[in-house]
Amino acid sequence: MTISGDEATRAPAVASDTQTGLSRQYARFIAVRVAILVVLLVVVALSFLADVATGTSSLTVGDILRGLVAPEALSRSQAVILWDVRLPYAAMAVLVGAALGLAGAEMQTVLNNPLASPFTLGVSAAAMLGASVVIVFNVLPAWLDQNYGVALGAFVFAVGATMLIQGLSRLYGATVDTVVLFGIAMVFVLNALVALIQFVADADALQQVVFWNMGSLTRATWGKIAIVAGVLALCLPASMMHVWAMTALRGGEDHARSFGIPVERLRLLVMLRVSLLAAAAVCFVGTIGFVGLVGPHIARLALGEDHRFYLPGAALAGALVLSLASIASKVLVPGLILPVGIVTSLVGIPLFMALILTQRRRA
Amino acid sequence: MSDAAGGPLRLEDVSVGYGRTPVLSHLDIGPVAPGSLVAVVGSNAVGKSTLLKAIAGLRPATGGIRLGDTDLARLPLAKRVRLVGYLSQSLPQPTSLVAYEAVTSAFRAVRGDLSADEVERRVEEVFAALGLRGLALRRLSEMSGGQRQMVGLAQVLVRKPPLLLLDEPTSALDLRWQLNVLETVRGITRGENAICLIAIHDVNLALRFCDAVIVLGGGGVLAAGAPEDVMTPDLLRRAYGIEGRVERCSRGFPIVLSDRALSV
Repeated sequence: MTISGDEATRAPAVASDTQTGLSRQYARFIAVRVAILVVLLVVVALSFLADVATGTSSLTVGDILRGLVAPEALSRSQAVILWDVRLPYAAMAVLVGAALGLAGAEMQTVLNNPLASPFTLGVSAAAMLGASVVIVFNVLPAWLDQNYGVALGAFVFAVGATMLIQGLSRLYGATVDTVVLFGIAMVFVLNALVALIQFVADADALQQVVFWNMGSLTRATWGKIAIVAGVLALCLPASMMHVWAMTALRGGEDHARSFGIPVERLRLLVMLRVSLLAAAAVCFVGTIGFVGLVGPHIARLALGEDHRFYLPGAALAGALVLSLASIASKVLVPGLILPVGIVTSLVGIPLFMALILTQRRRA
Repeated sequence: MSDAAGGPLRLEDVSVGYGRTPVLSHLDIGPVAPGSLVAVVGSNAVGKSTLLKAIAGLRPATGGIRLGDTDLARLPLAKRVRLVGYLSQSLPQPTSLVAYEAVTSAFRAVRGDLSADEVERRVEEVFAALGLRGLALRRLSEMSGGQRQMVGLAQVLVRKPPLLLLDEPTSALDLRWQLNVLETVRGITRGENAICLIAIHDVNLALRFCDAVIVLGGGGVLAAGAPEDVMTPDLLRRAYGIEGRVERCSRGFPIVLSDRALSV
């Protein structure tokens, strides 16, 4: 049987001279987003400065700026406070926040779930288990610095947990639901194992484990900052390579697949990258919740979901949230630096709820 | 002209199913000539979507699926999507992407070789063709289901493939937009000399707009050919299990009138 169109009734081709100014309209729309990104960047820089300026001993903004340009202009104790305490904490806050924000944003897209974050899918819990194992059983060689040893344990477990989730979900069809399901199951299993280790730990180790779990920037050193910055510098450009596919994925998996986007491969690649980012972030500072959840939500509200803007926006928003939390951790109780993980959760929960409710009202 | 060379579509001994359950067996269709708009009709769960997915390469199938000289079945998905544009039955998700971004990203994700200007021109063209300019900067989350369905269609049409496979593209649309979509698709099919297979429940729309109808049933093709030849009371009984008539309206189109469902 032959099937053919009726030649006589052929309509003319669709007109191609459709310059409607739509792309000009869109260019203006994009300009607003670029402006929002720039504003966000400036606000992060200001928050970073404020974070450096905040603390028990008084350093004015003038002292700080002078100390940054010419460290010898400060007294010895001032230089130590600036370069060994304030700057590393503030820099770590910005970097860890950016890494968690970016990781959360990518996770939410590939898992098509606005509640996905390194925290909710077990990366943090796995890091916690890794750190606990090292602290309690002291399994590392003696030449390795204890600080880095704990971080290494946390890192290995965090990456391992993501791989395990990916491996298991591939066995069972690799849909978004299986990944999320295994992730949630993983959180419970890991938490139970952490509790078991705490149960058998001696008092000294127990105290260390509990403190690690609180998430604190006071463990920051320039060496660790370099590692987190390196991982971020590696992952952000890699993320930006997939922006079109990731944006297209927001329309739904069925659609993305029919455009020719290899959805499963993209998801695996992104999850590996995310586990690297999140593990590098939490392994040095401990459990810091909600930044990976709130950062992407702020970015989505402000910038939409074109990933060219959404991904850097989520990184900046994460950096801002953790930087502000770092300031709050110093001023909430005068004379005391609270573990920042406590602050992000306490401040993060109401912020997150407010964002969600704003979105609901919009929709 | 389409982006890639097409040619007639021919399906030879195609079988496709889910797991061990066959849905369609040993199907032969075509050749379907370029420039044809073809309706794929049949009762629920008869395999309309499955057929389109198999041709698109989204469902594993056996047999030969050829477009011109190209064996689509042997083509890797990345190359196949240059030739085949498939629109899923599901609507695009209500995300905070604006329509312009949804269409642009769908295009650029797989056509990194085109310049930004070329992409812009093509996106503008498709928004104009579908009459969607007013929606271009609106978020999908603020659109109705029908509007999102139009955005989904734009995402496929912007690629200008020589073979279009549209699964229920009018399911969420009101009467005006149903006509608008089918007229636009028919215009593109003819203007671009493309082939369009459209799975559709509304038999009367199919009869009015399509050059040919393929009726699926019982795991195969019940009938195929020009609408007025294929659609008979006997076929309505076999394909849909209804008693019906095929009459001509005052403007000359065949119209199906369904009288009653036959007991199963």
